[in-house]
Amino acid sequence: MQKYEKLEKIGEGTYGTVFKAKNKENHEIVALKRVRLDDDDEGVPSSALREICLLKELKHKNIVRLTDVLHSERKLTLVFEYCDQDLKKYFDSCNGEIEAEVVKSFLYQLLRGLAFCHSHNVLHRDLKPQNLLINKNGELKLADFGLARAFGIPVRCYSAEVVTLWYRPPDVLFGAKLYSTSIDMWSAGCIFAELANAGRPLFPGNDVNDQLKRIFKSLGTPTEDTWPGVAQLPDYKQFPIYQPTMSFSQVVPKLSAKGRDLLQRLLVCNPAHRMSAEDGMAHPYFYDLNPALRT
Amino acid sequence: MAANFWKSSHCQQWLLEKQLLDQVRQDDLAVLSEDEYQKVMIFIAGLVQALGEQLKVRQQVIGTATMYMKRFYSRNSLGSVDPLLLAPTAIFLASKVEEFGVISNSRLISTCQAVVKNRFAFAYPQEFPYKIAHVLECEFFLLELMDCCLVLYHPYRPLLHYAHDMGEPERVLPLAWKIVNDSLRTDVHLLYPPYQIALAALHMACVMLNRDAKQWFAELSVDMDKIMEITRQILALYTLWKNYDEKRDIPAILNKMPKPKTAPDK
Repeated sequence: MQKYEKLEKIGEGTYGTVFKAKNKENHEIVALKRVRLDDDDEGVPSSALREICLLKELKHKNIVRLTDVLHSERKLTLVFEYCDQDLKKYFDSCNGEIEAEVVKSFLYQLLRGLAFCHSHNVLHRDLKPQNLLINKNGELKLADFGLARAFGIPVRCYSAEVVTLWYRPPDVLFGAKLYSTSIDMWSAGCIFAELANAGRPLFPGNDVNDQLKRIFKSLGTPTEDTWPGVAQLPDYKQFPIYQPTMSFSQVVPKLSAKGRDLLQRLLVCNPAHRMSAEDGMAHPYFYDLNPALRT
Repeated sequence: MAANFWKSSHCQQWLLEKQLLDQVRQDDLAVLSEDEYQKVMIFIAGLVQALGEQLKVRQQVIGTATMYMKRFYSRNSLGSVDPLLLAPTAIFLASKVEEFGVISNSRLISTCQAVVKNRFAFAYPQEFPYKIAHVLECEFFLLELMDCCLVLYHPYRPLLHYAHDMGEPERVLPLAWKIVNDSLRTDVHLLYPPYQIALAALHMACVMLNRDAKQWFAELSVDMDKIMEITRQILALYTLWKNYDEKRDIPAILNKMPKPKTAPDK
């Protein structure tokens, strides 16, 4: 621990406090995540182990880098590359205005990070603006893999209580136990809309019921025709058949037509029809992406 | 995370050189013979297996835990941490990593007590001496020693793939699978990538069952020298096993094995 000088507290993660710190040898700024071990009998918490396991294996420019793990007396400290802010703070600081090019760049990087995770059979499961880090070069990185896990075949039953409500897809809200990469793609869609609206959340529901109602009012209520098997989901509840009241041009007025088309392919209630990260990256919306970003 | 073995920490940090293993073992081999060292390793793997079975974890958890132990003693003397403590620790950690869930403290300790009493009394006549605090402390050592490389690749998946590719998998697969299980008691998992171990097991099974697979192996274009090296090590295990009476041999070996300086405080 002598190697790093703590500067300030940045926040609280899933399983510990996060500090900004400076490496005394090379003056590099890092983020330190201290893993609490004191409270219960779990030993090193499963969430911390998941994060360590995954980040040890997944190295990608759109995934936050774990540079070191420090061991000291009953304390485990994860050392991450430092990013200046998360997307939520970025929203707070942008005064209701995000340039179209920045929206495109952030979404592309988000999809690229996800495509990498998904190609390694890893789901993030907890995407939200707080978990997307932005550095001053405009690079976006996926972080907080405490709820992520490698998924194998067959997909086992995971707990339904994983994604923050606002970014949770309808299948999970209906209690679906077998979910796949599609869970992250719904969250990516919600974040895309939030980016396009400069930080206004798309579906800020108060509870599961309210969350579903907001989604269906916007997209239309799914039926057995549009989503075979929906009524068999464990927590399925009947909702009034809402017809989409707002067109996507009203939902995301500042987004281009191609952008709206991509958003519509991500925000699909039936998880089987949701676009994948890799296909998303190839969408015409990105045809005029700054070529520097593709490298 | 099955997608890319070549970029994994297993491949990049944990395929070791034979010289390194020999070097670390020098201290242990000053008091134990080569055979005795292998017998201890077999014994410890059996301990992990027995604990895992009693705790009803999946075989994958047992395999991973066994590898954690092998990794630990590939860098440390047997005297650094008591195998009787490391075995439950490895299971405890592997169960979390393999998403099998957290084994409760009381269940872990009571299982250790029962297994030691009922199955390993010949080696440990006293009752299981450790408390959960020791396990949690040891978990820490284990994590640090492995440099937090927790995700492992086992030969089972490539084995299935190869056996099906060869055709008539039901003929050779059960035996090859068993050979892979047995290979956990050798050093091959520390030295060779899992696909080579899978091929060696498959090759051995074909030979034992008189199945002609020369053509199939010839078309693989793999380094058959490596496959033969692995085969030799597994065969050496079987030879050792033949004349090995664990109940007779182990107490004396444990007795002269290097011990940790600090015994657990009761």
